[in-house]
Amino acid sequence: MLFLKSMPVIASPTHYIFQIVRAGITFLACTQVEMPPLMGIEFLCRVADILSDYLGELNEDLIKDNFVIVYELLDEMIDNGFPLTTEPNILREMIAPPNIVSKMLSVVTGNSSNVSDILPGATASCVPWRPTDVKYANNEVYVDLVEEMDAIINRDGVLVKCEIYGEVQVNCLLSGLPDLTLSFANPSILHDVRFHPCVRFRPWESHQILSFVPPDGQFKLMSYRVKKLKSTPIYVKPQLTSDAGTCRISVMVGIRNDPGKTIDSIILQFQLPPCILSADLTSNHGTVNVLSNKICTWSIGRIPKDKAPSLSGTMVLETGLETLRVFPTFQVEFRIMGVALSGLQIDKLDLQNVPNRLYKGFRAVTRAGEYEVRS
Amino acid sequence: MAGIRLHVISPLVLVAVGKCARDPSVFVRKCAANALPKLHELRQEEITSAIEEIVGILLNDRSPGVVGAAAAAFASICPNNFTLIGRNYRNLCQILPDVEEWGQILLIEILLRYVVASHGLVKESIMSSLLCIESSHSEKDVFDVNVALEDNGIPSRTYDSELVNLVSRSYIEGLGEYLTRSSDTNARSSDLNGARFTSGKTNDDVKLLLQCTSPLLWSHNSAVVLAAAGVHWIMSPKEDVKRIVKPLLFILRSSGASKYVVLCNIQVFAKALPHLFVPHYEDFFVSSSDSYQSKALKLEILSSIVTESSISSVFKEFQDYIRDPDRRFAADTVAAIGLCARKLPKMANTCVEGLLALIRQELLTSDIESGNGEADVLIQSIISIKSIIKQDPSCHEKVIIQLFRSLDSIKVPEARVMIIWMVGEYSSVGVKIPRMLTTVLKYLAWCFKSEAVETKLQILNTTIKVLLCAKGGDMWTITRLFSYLLELAECDLNYDVRDRARFFKKLFSHNLCSQVPEETNALQENKDLPLVLVECIFRKQENLAASEPINDRFYLPGSLSQIVLHAAPGYEPLPKPCSSLCDDLGQFSNSIDRTTALGEEWTGSSSNGTDDPDTSGSLDEESGSNYDSQQSIPGLSDNSGTGDSASEGDRNCDPLIQISDAGIACSNENGASHSGFPDLEGMMSKRALESWLDEQPGSSSPSASEQIQVRQSSARISIGNIGRQVKAKSYTLLDPANGNGLKVYYSFSSEASTISPQLVCLETFFENCSSETMSEVTLVDEESHKALDLADLTLATTAR
Repeated sequence: MLFLKSMPVIASPTHYIFQIVRAGITFLACTQVEMPPLMGIEFLCRVADILSDYLGELNEDLIKDNFVIVYELLDEMIDNGFPLTTEPNILREMIAPPNIVSKMLSVVTGNSSNVSDILPGATASCVPWRPTDVKYANNEVYVDLVEEMDAIINRDGVLVKCEIYGEVQVNCLLSGLPDLTLSFANPSILHDVRFHPCVRFRPWESHQILSFVPPDGQFKLMSYRVKKLKSTPIYVKPQLTSDAGTCRISVMVGIRNDPGKTIDSIILQFQLPPCILSADLTSNHGTVNVLSNKICTWSIGRIPKDKAPSLSGTMVLETGLETLRVFPTFQVEFRIMGVALSGLQIDKLDLQNVPNRLYKGFRAVTRAGEYEVRS
Repeated sequence: MAGIRLHVISPLVLVAVGKCARDPSVFVRKCAANALPKLHELRQEEITSAIEEIVGILLNDRSPGVVGAAAAAFASICPNNFTLIGRNYRNLCQILPDVEEWGQILLIEILLRYVVASHGLVKESIMSSLLCIESSHSEKDVFDVNVALEDNGIPSRTYDSELVNLVSRSYIEGLGEYLTRSSDTNARSSDLNGARFTSGKTNDDVKLLLQCTSPLLWSHNSAVVLAAAGVHWIMSPKEDVKRIVKPLLFILRSSGASKYVVLCNIQVFAKALPHLFVPHYEDFFVSSSDSYQSKALKLEILSSIVTESSISSVFKEFQDYIRDPDRRFAADTVAAIGLCARKLPKMANTCVEGLLALIRQELLTSDIESGNGEADVLIQSIISIKSIIKQDPSCHEKVIIQLFRSLDSIKVPEARVMIIWMVGEYSSVGVKIPRMLTTVLKYLAWCFKSEAVETKLQILNTTIKVLLCAKGGDMWTITRLFSYLLELAECDLNYDVRDRARFFKKLFSHNLCSQVPEETNALQENKDLPLVLVECIFRKQENLAASEPINDRFYLPGSLSQIVLHAAPGYEPLPKPCSSLCDDLGQFSNSIDRTTALGEEWTGSSSNGTDDPDTSGSLDEESGSNYDSQQSIPGLSDNSGTGDSASEGDRNCDPLIQISDAGIACSNENGASHSGFPDLEGMMSKRALESWLDEQPGSSSPSASEQIQVRQSSARISIGNIGRQVKAKSYTLLDPANGNGLKVYYSFSSEASTISPQLVCLETFFENCSSETMSEVTLVDEESHKALDLADLTLATTAR
C-alpha cells in the first residue's frame, strides 16, 4: 500500500488511476481505456490550482465547508470525461468565489447556488481567454518576475548544479482589448521557455519578443529556465563527525555573494537518518525544532550583521553503531525581494489599444526552489 | 440534453445537435461537439453515420474552440476514419496552435496517425532505421549491419540499432504481433519496401505537421509538450529530433507526478538515442525531494547516457547517492555503477575499486543484521563487481582474490553465495588463484555446517567445478575435501542439500572409489559418461552470454500503456504506413476482403510477463485453432451452399459463452449493442455487458463468468483490403473446391489485441471465388464453445 501511495499511475485489473497529492489531499482520476497519462495528471493539477485559488488555501476542512462550490467547479471543468473550461478567469465569471457577502446572501435568501445565469462573455469572443467587455477605472498592469533557484551542492562543497526556474506573472487590469508587447534586455540567457496560450509564437521566434492579448486579472505569462549559474547567494556548510556512538553536527550559514537586497526567511530543513536515536541541537540564532518524524527545522530568518548563524549539537546513534554512514541532505529556503538572480531584465512593455492613463509596475523576487546541500 | 442517455430520444437529440452544429454561435457549436460522444455511447447503429457526418462538419469549423471539441469527439467516435481528417488536414494543422490545450493533445495524436496512414513514415526519421536494418539483415549478418551503419556517414550516432529497430517496430505493430511473428523477417522486410517511406523534405503534409507542432513544444501544458515531442520523435528527421530535448527536460520541473511520467518516456528516448541527452546529464541528477520511482528512473537514464567525458562527475554524484539514507536507492545506485562500468570498459577499474572500498566500509561497520537495506547494498555491490569481472576475468585477478579474502567477514548468505560461485567459476584464472584454491575450499568445508541452505548448495557445486579442473597434487586434497563435504551434506537437515549430495555421489562414485588419483586414471575417467555429464553441467555455464535484460515493451510515447507497460484497453499502435493510401486509390473496391481479427482466449497461460510463455502460448493457439477450424468446415459449406436470405444477426462473438446454436446467438443481439467497431468491449459500459450476460443461458460455468469479469471477450472486425502488402504466413482453411467457391484462410494478424495482452489476434480472410453471391457465412469455434456468427457478411461477387 505504501508503495502504491507514491505511484502517480496505478494499474488495477480493470482501471487505471492517476493521482497527485497536494497539501495532504489526494486527487484521483480514473480511466478504463488508453489516454495520455499526462493529460489526466495535468488536469488534476489544474483542479488543485483552481480549488486553492477559490478557497484561498487547500485543506480538508475547507473542501468540506465549500463542497457545493467544489462540485460546481468540477461540473464546469469536466464534461463527459473531457476537460471543458479550465481557464481560471472564465470560471471566476461563471461561478462566484466564496466570500462573506455571498455567504450572507445565501443564508438570507436560501439560494445556495452561486452559478451565474448568464454565459460569460469570453466563451463567445474570438479570444477565448479574455472577456469582451472589461472596464476599469484605473488601468494598471503589473509584471512580476518570480524566480526559484535550484541548486545541488555536493559533499565536497562543490556547486554541482545551479539553475533558475522563473515565471513572468502578469496582473492585468486593463479596459478593452489591449495588445501588449514585452521585451527583455537579455533574452539570450534564457535556456528554455514555455508560454501561456495567449502568447503569439511568431514574434518570439523571430525577435524574442512577447506579444500577447492578456487575459483579465492575474496569470502566468511565461516560464523560463536559466542554466549553469556560477554562484549562490548564501552558503551552508554542514559538518558531521561521528565517533563511538555519538555524532557531532555543526552547520554554518552565511552570505556568499551579497545580492544587494536583504535575504530573509532563511529556513534550513533536514531529515535525520533513521539510525539516530536522539538529537540535541542548539543554535546561536533563530529557532530549532525537531519533529517526531525526525525532520529537523532551523528557521533563521535574516542573517544578522555581527555574527554568522551556526547550529551545533550532538546526536546519539543506535546501539551497536559506531560511526554514521548515511548522511542527511539539507534543504535550504530563502527569499530575496527585488532581485532576479538569473539576471533577466525587462526592457520595456508597450501597450496598444489602451486608454492614456495607465500605471505600469515591475517587481522581482527570488526564492529557493530545490536548493539542497549534501553532507 | 444528450446527458439523458435514453435510446428513445436519441434521434431527436441527434437532429438537435445537427442543427446546433450549424449554429452561428461558437459556444453552441462547441457544445454540440461535446454532445456527440455522449450520443455515440448509446451505440445505436442507425445514427452512427449521421454522427460521423456531424463530426466532419465540426472538424471543418473555423473556430479553434469548436475544432478542439470536435477532435475529442473524433477520437472517441471514429478514430480510424481518416477520410474525415484528410479533407480538412491543412485547415486542422493551421488551426492547431490556437486550439485549447486539451483539444491539442488529442488533435496532435489524430494528425500523427493520419500522416502515418496516408503518407507512411519519414525516410530520415528514426523509424526508417527499421528499413535499412531489415534489408541488410536479409543479406548480411548482424555484425555487418553495424559496420554498414557506420559507413553510411553517421559515425556520431552511437545508438543501439537493434533497440531502435525494436522500438520503432513496436510502435507500428504492437507487442503481440512482434512476439508471434517468428522467423519470417525476410518476408516482412520485403513488404516494408521504399514505397512506404516518404521524405520529410519533399512531403508538404509531413512538413506542415512538424511545423505546426513545433511551437507547441513551448506550451505550458506538459501533456501538450509530450504529445508534440512524440510527433517529432516519430516523424522528424534524425537531425531535428534534438529539438524535443530541452522542452522535455523543462517539463520535468512541473509536478512530481508528471515528472515520473515524463521520465518514463525520456527513458525510452534515451535508450534508443543516448546522444540526444548526453549534454544534459546534469538534469538527471537526483534531488532529495524526488520520489523513489523518479530517483530509480533517473539512475537508469544516467547510466544509459553516460559517456567518457561525463563519467567522472556522474561518479561523484553516485558516491553521494550511496550515502543517502534511503538504502534501497543506495543499492540501486550501486547497480547503476555496475551498468556504467560495463558500458565504459575503461572505467571498470575505477568502479571496481570504488565498489571494493564500499564493501570494506560496509564490513567495517558490520551492523548488517540491524537493517535490511545494508544487506541489499552489499549484495548489489557484489553483483555489480561480478558483472564487471565477467567481462574480462583475467584483468581482475586481484579483485577476485580480495573478494575471497573478505569471504570470512561477509555474513549475508546471498553475498557469500556469489563469492563462492566466483571461486568455482574463475578457479583457473591467473596464477595466484589456483594456488589459493585448496585453502579457500578448506575454509568452506570448515564452516559448511553453519551455512545457510543456499550457501551449502553453492559450496557443493563449486567444489565440483574446482575438482573438474584441478591438476596434480591439489587433486588429492580436493577429492578428500569433496568426499568430506558429501558426507556432511548427506546428513544435513535440509532435504534439498541431502538430495544434491546423493546426486553428486552417484555421479562421482567411480571417481571417489578409486581414491588414488593417477594421471592415466583421471584421463580415462574423463571419458566416462557421468563425468562428461558433469562437465556439461558445470563447465558450460561460462559460455552463456551475459545478456542485459532489456525491457522490450515499447508503446507510443506519451501513452498510458508506456507507463504501465502493457497495452491498456483501447491502445492502438500507429496505423500501418500508407494503409489509407491504398483505400483512397479504390482500385480494389470491388474485391471484398473481410478481415476478422478475432481475439482468442489463451489456453491457460496466466502469466503475461515473459516472452517464452507468449510464444509457446501462441503456438498452442495455432494448433488449437487449426483444429477448430477444421471442425467448422461443414457449417461453412452448408450455409454458403444454401445461400438463403441474409439474417439480420449481429456479429455476435463472445468466445467465452456457451452457445449451442445460432438461434440463441441471434436472440442475443438486443442485449449486445452493435459490435461494428473494433473497440466494442473496451467501450461498452459495464451495465450493458452485464445485462447481456444475464441473457446467456449457458454461462453458468464459474471459469467463464470469471473471465467475463475481466473482459477478455472481444471481437475485432475491421475491413481490410486485398491490396494489403503485408502477407503474414497464412493457412488455408477451406479450398474453393470444397467450399462451393468460398476460399477461407487465416493468419495471425499484425495487430495487438486492444482488449488484453493475453489475446492473440487472428485474421480470417473470406474470398468468394465463385460467380454467385454468398449471403450467410458462419464461423463456429467448437472447442471452447464459442460461436462466431458472421451472418452480416454481405459478400459481393468478386471477379476472380
